[in-house]
Amino acid sequence: MKNGMDKSTELILEYAKELAKQNVVGTGDCISVRSGAYLIASKADVRLEDLTENDVVKIKMSDAQGEYALHARIYAAKSDASAVCHCHPAWVEPIARCGAVIPAVTDDMTQIVGRNCKTCKNDAGTIAKNLKKRNSTLVAGDGCVTAGRTLNEAVTCVLVLDKAAHCFVASTVLKKNVLINFFEATLMNVIYKMKYSKKNQENLQSEEGSL
Amino acid sequence: MWDKNTENELRQLVKDSGVRLLEENLVQGTWGNISARLDEDHMLVTPTGLDYNHLTPEDMPIVQISDPSVWSDGKKPTSERKIHAAVLASRPEINVCIHSHPVFATVMASCRMPLPAFSDELREVMGGDVAVGAYGLPGTKKLMEGTVKAIRGRNACFMANHGVFCVGKTMDEAFNVLRVLERNVYAFIQKKTLEKTGGGEYTDEMLFDLFVKSKG
Repeated sequence: MKNGMDKSTELILEYAKELAKQNVVGTGDCISVRSGAYLIASKADVRLEDLTENDVVKIKMSDAQGEYALHARIYAAKSDASAVCHCHPAWVEPIARCGAVIPAVTDDMTQIVGRNCKTCKNDAGTIAKNLKKRNSTLVAGDGCVTAGRTLNEAVTCVLVLDKAAHCFVASTVLKKNVLINFFEATLMNVIYKMKYSKKNQENLQSEEGSL
Repeated sequence: MWDKNTENELRQLVKDSGVRLLEENLVQGTWGNISARLDEDHMLVTPTGLDYNHLTPEDMPIVQISDPSVWSDGKKPTSERKIHAAVLASRPEINVCIHSHPVFATVMASCRMPLPAFSDELREVMGGDVAVGAYGLPGTKKLMEGTVKAIRGRNACFMANHGVFCVGKTMDEAFNVLRVLERNVYAFIQKKTLEKTGGGEYTDEMLFDLFVKSKG
């Protein structure tokens, strides 16, 4: 704990800084972690790069409204999620705006995100339903929402998704995408979740604290 | 055989270089791996599936180059150690390998397009054009053989739908290969975009407009 700041606030500030550093932030970003019946979140009207300790709020899930209600719906629908990121990275944004699907262009996307990432309707119920069995979705006209077992995992999803979006756009223009086939993409995703990432997520869970 | 001081210095270098990959966004999460030669038959590698920020120098296992299934010390080695071992075995002048997933180079990897040696810098640092290795699932023989073949006579290659593999005599040299590759792929994407738009000053919006048009 630094300067009397609680662990969750520290985490939010640390990863807000990381997202800004990796240049995957935009307007309307909000990241949160679960804390029992509460969620600890960045203020939705403050850009992540400008976030300070005073811009991290604690909200009771049952009373959450607006952006925070979206996060609360996701935590309710997805019991294994301890963190949610709603971000607007530069390459994801235009794809979400035109309602496209990011296909299996890269190994790391298929492993971390899944064999594709679709754009869903901009509605809290639909987003939460979409995230029930996945950890990432594009949202029509509103960036992407990712959920993770740790904040580290949710942030990694944002980074990998933006890179996959960039690769999808640029490789389509350069030549033609050669996609990873359905079987291999699904297999990699299962191995990542069940085996490859397990130890790292356990370490991170103990470090980020039991939320 | 190597002395303990050299080993400790290399352990620290591998650990610091893993963090450097993350800090420069040349890799995301736990992806990517690094090896550094200890002697002609041993290398230090990064462990599998763990965040570089949380590793200690002692976590790096020592792997036998002639038989990468044999390892000691440290944590379980990266599943891509066979590629590192095969490259180090076939290239005695190389001491360091970096496998990572930087954004621009991964564009080439995802459309499986080789990079022509269009600049002096590329010819000098890569040794010519940069080929694409055959696609294979992570940790497989197919991926290993494809990568070894594609990097033959060069200091880097793309790995289909995966990332890049770069080598150097030193860690700094391998990082330089990685950065030069990334910079030149970006220049190549700009050049190709402008050829299609008819010139002007490159912007990412141009690329996106071409993408939208191609999708009808």
